[in-house]
Amino acid sequence: MVINSTSMPPGPDAAMGGPGSWHISTGSARGAAHRAAGLPNQDSVAWRTVTAGGGETVAAVADGHGHSRHFRSANGSALAVAVGRRVSSRLAANLAGQGAKAGAEAAVRSTLGGLVREWRRAVAGHLAHHPYTAEEQAALDSTGDGPDVPYGSTLLLAVVCPRWLACAQIGDGDFLAVRPDGQSIVPLPGDERLDGLRTTSLCQKDAEEAFRVGVQNLDDIPLLALLLATDGFGNAQAADPWQPGVGHDLAELAAEHDHRWFEDQVPTWAERCASAEGSGDDTTIVLLLNPGATAMAARADGDLTRRRR
Amino acid sequence: MDNPPVTAEAPLSRMPGGGISRRPLHFIILADCSGGMKGEKIQALNFAIADMMPHLAAWERDQEQAQVLVRAVAFATEPRWHIPDPVPVSKIRWKPLQPVPKGLTNMGPAFAMVAEALSPGRLERRALRPALLLITDGMSTDAPGALEAGLNALMSQPAGRAALRLSLAIGRDAQSDALKDFIGDPSVPVLVADNTEDIADRLVAASLALSRMSEAGADRSALARTLLGPTGMHQAIFDRDTIV
Repeated sequence: MVINSTSMPPGPDAAMGGPGSWHISTGSARGAAHRAAGLPNQDSVAWRTVTAGGGETVAAVADGHGHSRHFRSANGSALAVAVGRRVSSRLAANLAGQGAKAGAEAAVRSTLGGLVREWRRAVAGHLAHHPYTAEEQAALDSTGDGPDVPYGSTLLLAVVCPRWLACAQIGDGDFLAVRPDGQSIVPLPGDERLDGLRTTSLCQKDAEEAFRVGVQNLDDIPLLALLLATDGFGNAQAADPWQPGVGHDLAELAAEHDHRWFEDQVPTWAERCASAEGSGDDTTIVLLLNPGATAMAARADGDLTRRRR
Repeated sequence: MDNPPVTAEAPLSRMPGGGISRRPLHFIILADCSGGMKGEKIQALNFAIADMMPHLAAWERDQEQAQVLVRAVAFATEPRWHIPDPVPVSKIRWKPLQPVPKGLTNMGPAFAMVAEALSPGRLERRALRPALLLITDGMSTDAPGALEAGLNALMSQPAGRAALRLSLAIGRDAQSDALKDFIGDPSVPVLVADNTEDIADRLVAASLALSRMSEAGADRSALARTLLGPTGMHQAIFDRDTIV
């Protein structure tokens, strides 16, 4: 499911993000294995750009768990990105007033409890209109799973506003922040519990505590781009680790192409990763491009060339 | 790992990174080459393993997620790698195993050898859960504690613990607690080949089980009942993700 909006009527600036907000390119593709098994695309994506003030950009990506316990995870992921986008917009306003990294990180942390509660309310609302069948309820009773478990989903949130990049994540999937010279960083801590078979989830009891959070001061570390993706993207990459190569190539591509090229390409990338030649899993990619990306990458082109050599 | 990526470059598209490929599925055979396997048994086993590979290769072509990479350990008194590096199943040319004269059936060191191969950093981070197939015609002859030590080494590795593990006993007498402990799931039966003619059929059943039960959306219990026996089998390589 794809949800997006801008704060302005459609127009040249709104469509491309406007001054101050970052350009957004998204792609989401149903995995080949899901297609073969008759399963839907259980990923969801939502984003929002605001051009007022210094501009802000919010993106949310979610991956509904594929296990049969989570038989409503496509709904769960759609609710997750809708709630995530709403909460992140409030967070962006809060971040704008933060001068220090600790304060910015605390602001992110302080939103997580409310986010989890809103998701659970959204699940309850969906459930009220679509109650479990007797068979589904019997399955829940036999496993002891609560009513939220069938909606289990990951969630990756990114907020870009003047000075700050804020990221929050529960479950698997990837963030990659790319600098103008092609070097890349993962902007939040890892989680050893994610072993490819099990994941942290919005549906777990201590979901708020299971979130990982990272904040970057964009005045200190200018960024060219930020990639968010469900695990279908990383699991399709032949290189191990794949992050340095992807970061380098994104910077190189940004020097050669404007955001419209990425808008065309990102859906194709998602399709290829989701194909039987890739991970075969649902794949969703969100690429946020700094509005000055082309100029930044062009200025750093000498560094890129040296790194390539 | 050194298996080459299967890249899929579209003519007008350039994608960042080093290309894409299917997720690796490591399939490791642990084959008994003790002295008791000499003669008809080892010949039948070699024939059966060679016969199994096209079934796995066909499954690899038909499904949408995995590239099957095969390795093999030959064990007797000591284990040794028969196929040390992962080889794509479609490229396997099975080199016959040879029995070790007077060789014992020491399973523990073989488990430990596989555990080492599955240790962190030795598998791709995106690899699917591995599949292990233990084939033996006899009871373990490990020194006291050695079998348990090897099994503990295997289970102490996340990938070893998560692996889909099957075992094939050649002859009713070969069924033992060691094989059940290796499987680690009472709902998964030990496959039994009553005679050498049965080995090929059982290995085909094992390869079908390893493959078809690993497919997304498969009714694994039904497949287990059909392929492996009367009880359900709940593990699978492609088990979709669930919560911690």
